[in-house]
Amino acid sequence: MKNTIKVERAKKNWTQADLAEKISVSRQAVNSIETGKFVPSTTLALKMAAVFGTTVEILFQLEQDD
Amino acid sequence: MERIKKTGGKSIVISAAVWAVTYFTCLLIVKELSPSTLVGVILSFLPTITFAIFLYHFIKGVSSMDEVERRIQLEATVFAFALALLMIMTLGLLDLVVVLNKEDWGYRHLIPFFVAFYFFGLFVSRKKYM
Repeated sequence: MKNTIKVERAKKNWTQADLAEKISVSRQAVNSIETGKFVPSTTLALKMAAVFGTTVEILFQLEQDD
Repeated sequence: MERIKKTGGKSIVISAAVWAVTYFTCLLIVKELSPSTLVGVILSFLPTITFAIFLYHFIKGVSSMDEVERRIQLEATVFAFALALLMIMTLGLLDLVVVLNKEDWGYRHLIPFFVAFYFFGLFVSRKKYM
């Protein structure tokens, strides 16, 4: 699963800590989701999409081996 | 969120310390003072109370963690449980073949191994996700 969290963060000029605070998780959690080490739950993915003002489909995309 | 996590972490550490103190105190009394069987049995079950309190705080703490940290805790516990099972199984088989010295391989000597398995699992899982 690939994601565009880093791009969306850059657009808003947010650090990982800023995003973490907005979605009530730790900065380490944001880092592990952003780097693709952890796939978030639907709830967290929807929360992320909401704070970025975008959709889950834009934020997360399936890869061929998914 | 961070505040809840810190408070939860503190109560886990305090309850774990209380459990450890209770356990080692009971161990010392049972081992060194040789109390009567009834008192010995009561002392053997006493750490169960403080362990239950620790378990309550631990589960409460885990449920207040974010989902990545919960995954890490789950994997660490699974890792520790599997290794503990393997250790008991191996010692059980070994016990049939060679006489294991109870002063080295008694039940109470296994506890540090189980704790070490959990922390090793935690280390491996943290490395995987963070």
